Amino acid sequence: MKFAVTKEALLDGLQRIQNVVSTRSTLPVLTNALLETTETGLRLTTTDLEVAIRCEITAQVEKAGATTLPARRLAAIVRELPASEITIETDAKNISTLRCGSSYFKIYGLAKDEFPAFPSFKEAKTYTMKQAELKDGLRKTSYAISVDETRYVLNGILFSFKENKLTLVATDGRRLALFDSDLEFPRSHERDFIVPTKAITELQRLLSEDGELQISVAENLVSFELNGSQLVSKLVEGNYPNYRQVIPGEAKERVTIEREALLNCVRRVSLLSSDKTSSVRINFTKNNLDITANTPEVGEARESLAVVYRGRDISIAFNPEFLLDPLRNLANDEIHIELIDEMSPGVIKINTPFLYVIMPMRVSV
Amino acid sequence: MTSHCGQIWTSVSEVIRQRISADGFERWFQGVDVVSDDGAKLVLSVPNPIHQFFIESNYLPLVQDAVAEIMGSPRKVQFVAVGSEEPAPVAASHHNAPASRAVVRERAQPPVSSGMNPRNTFDTFVVGSNSQFAHGAAMAIAKTPAKTYNPFFVYGGSGLGKTHLLQAIGHYVIQNQKSAKVVYLSSEQFTNEFIDAIQHGSLVKFRKKYRSADVLMIDDIQFLAGKERSQEEFFHTFNTLHDGHKQIVMSSDRPASEIEKLEHRLVSRFEWGMTAELQPPDVETRIAILKKKAESLSIALDPWVIEFLADRIRNNVRRLEGALMRVASYKSLSDREITKDAIENLLRDIFQEQARRAVTIEQIQRKVAEQYDVRLADMTSKRRPANIAFPRQIAMYLARELTKSSLSDIGDAFGGKDHGTVIHACKLVKRRLEEDEQTRHIVRLLDTQLQR
Repeated sequence: MKFAVTKEALLDGLQRIQNVVSTRSTLPVLTNALLETTETGLRLTTTDLEVAIRCEITAQVEKAGATTLPARRLAAIVRELPASEITIETDAKNISTLRCGSSYFKIYGLAKDEFPAFPSFKEAKTYTMKQAELKDGLRKTSYAISVDETRYVLNGILFSFKENKLTLVATDGRRLALFDSDLEFPRSHERDFIVPTKAITELQRLLSEDGELQISVAENLVSFELNGSQLVSKLVEGNYPNYRQVIPGEAKERVTIEREALLNCVRRVSLLSSDKTSSVRINFTKNNLDITANTPEVGEARESLAVVYRGRDISIAFNPEFLLDPLRNLANDEIHIELIDEMSPGVIKINTPFLYVIMPMRVSV
Repeated sequence: MTSHCGQIWTSVSEVIRQRISADGFERWFQGVDVVSDDGAKLVLSVPNPIHQFFIESNYLPLVQDAVAEIMGSPRKVQFVAVGSEEPAPVAASHHNAPASRAVVRERAQPPVSSGMNPRNTFDTFVVGSNSQFAHGAAMAIAKTPAKTYNPFFVYGGSGLGKTHLLQAIGHYVIQNQKSAKVVYLSSEQFTNEFIDAIQHGSLVKFRKKYRSADVLMIDDIQFLAGKERSQEEFFHTFNTLHDGHKQIVMSSDRPASEIEKLEHRLVSRFEWGMTAELQPPDVETRIAILKKKAESLSIALDPWVIEFLADRIRNNVRRLEGALMRVASYKSLSDREITKDAIENLLRDIFQEQARRAVTIEQIQRKVAEQYDVRLADMTSKRRPANIAFPRQIAMYLARELTKSSLSDIGDAFGGKDHGTVIHACKLVKRRLEEDEQTRHIVRLLDTQLQR
């Protein structure tokens, strides 16, 4: 195999795919990227057997072929190369030589036969949507994914295609984020599936603000095709629990707050809620919002915000991180907080279809 | 699903319902049921996995408390979603199997209080002159662990509130210092886990668990007696914690110096900090305890019943509370008016036992004679060499303290002595008690042996 490629194109391709590579894999070939020539250029692939990504870049192919090379090392080398034009040539023993200006590298690779085959799709249902829309949805929900591996069905985002709507849901048992987006698809395409966390992370990296993407889902695989790249992931097995159960009923009090101001207040106050078990307390009184935290033997903090509020006084404690997550990831100027009472979950809403349920902390039991 | 399980859930859910909002209860605990209970593990069924996830994340401590309250002892709580075959392995994962009763609060975990009875707090502890000192010391420790009295050693007879006091310290610290790691366990558990650690070669983990505690509380330390390796391990744990300015609290049924087969270096360490004794409550305190208990159980009893019980049951709070429960349940079940006779009949066994414990002068004489190795006849003789006279005086003093006999009765029992002789003996012994450590020790020993 022999080809010539620009540094920019190769680096761009490698950066798209290299994060899938696991650093400590039992199978050495999984730390490598597969390089294959195509009719128009070069195709790069990585996989960890759960998630696989491939992308195509333009290259001038002199001799067709394929090999695998250590993905991260190759990316590190390419990043440091002095000139733009790179030539890579591979011999029959999978030893590749890389030349670029005055630089010369010899890299030992592994045969392409050892590399797992890219998953193939059969009987897939396909949906098309705007990249910006999905990017927005993932940004507003992915922080709520559970990291507790024992609750494996929660280690991902639920994609629910129902009634011409895509609903994205993530929860970890203490909070829940939900995002809705209108989408046209035939009735036969109604389906729920769970995309694992790693695929979500990679997908977020690939998504851009313009253009569309294609989502295809088969029995136990999902594929996202966008910008000349394709990401294929196994689905999380099992059924997503009935998340509707979490969403509280009718709210008693509703208040509109400036997002930035609240974010900054909570962030400052949380400096005095020493560790993860502590909380910040939100106190609503007439036209005023106090945020307080206190840690025995450390100190206490209080912030006040002027708000328009005429309901009854409510004081409710939340984990500051859980409160900060949506505030950081929303873009709106204003958010609405809905409360029932001290013991019931709070809900954060914005003017577009989004919902965040946060369970109060039981500070004194 | 047996009716027994159904009953458990009815009572447990009632406790939970009172502690969370109506909406929260409707949302999460409607449709939950008890599947099985094997004494150590309680399996609850939930309609959907989402119930499990949210109950575990938000209400697990509450459920555990409620279960402990209803069942009388903590259980590991597990969930199973209806429709899924196997119980999820996650529930209560912060309990290690051998340490199911130990409470270890990790920084990132919600408060877990199994192992400690949630009712054993300072609020529910009735302070009387018998426990004032111990309670004050415990309170000071709970407020500023490791800063005031370290170690804290509390001792007293069975059912006088040692465990209550220890757990009250634990609850107080947990509530006020979220980051503090509080470990509470009995010395027997300590030994068991130690043996387990040796067997499985996991001593490092074992040590880490106890040596990283901010407050270590060991109940019934007297059970370490005779277990040499455990004592050695505890000795090192003790030193590590003490050097690291961490609070250590221990309880025992007797003073450290009287625990047999306990190494001297441990005894001296136990006596290093603060030692407090819990004594049987006086009658006013007993009445206060009964009133408080009746109030917390919402039992309405006539004042004379409470006074009667307080008068008849003297040196064990646990028994006192048990008697109260019996009378209360008799009242609610039989729907009859309570009379003195009815109570006498109802609490026959307790009263009898109590009566048996009443000390007689003869018992005192025998015990003292045995202790000082003099003949029983010397107790009543007129001979007065010091080695006989002094034990006799001690016996008179004890008879005066422990029985209701009058001075002249005591004098008669000691071979027709004058009541002035008895007064003189009591005064003399009292003075010696203040001055002489040896005498104090022996008298205390005799006192506990006689009252046992």
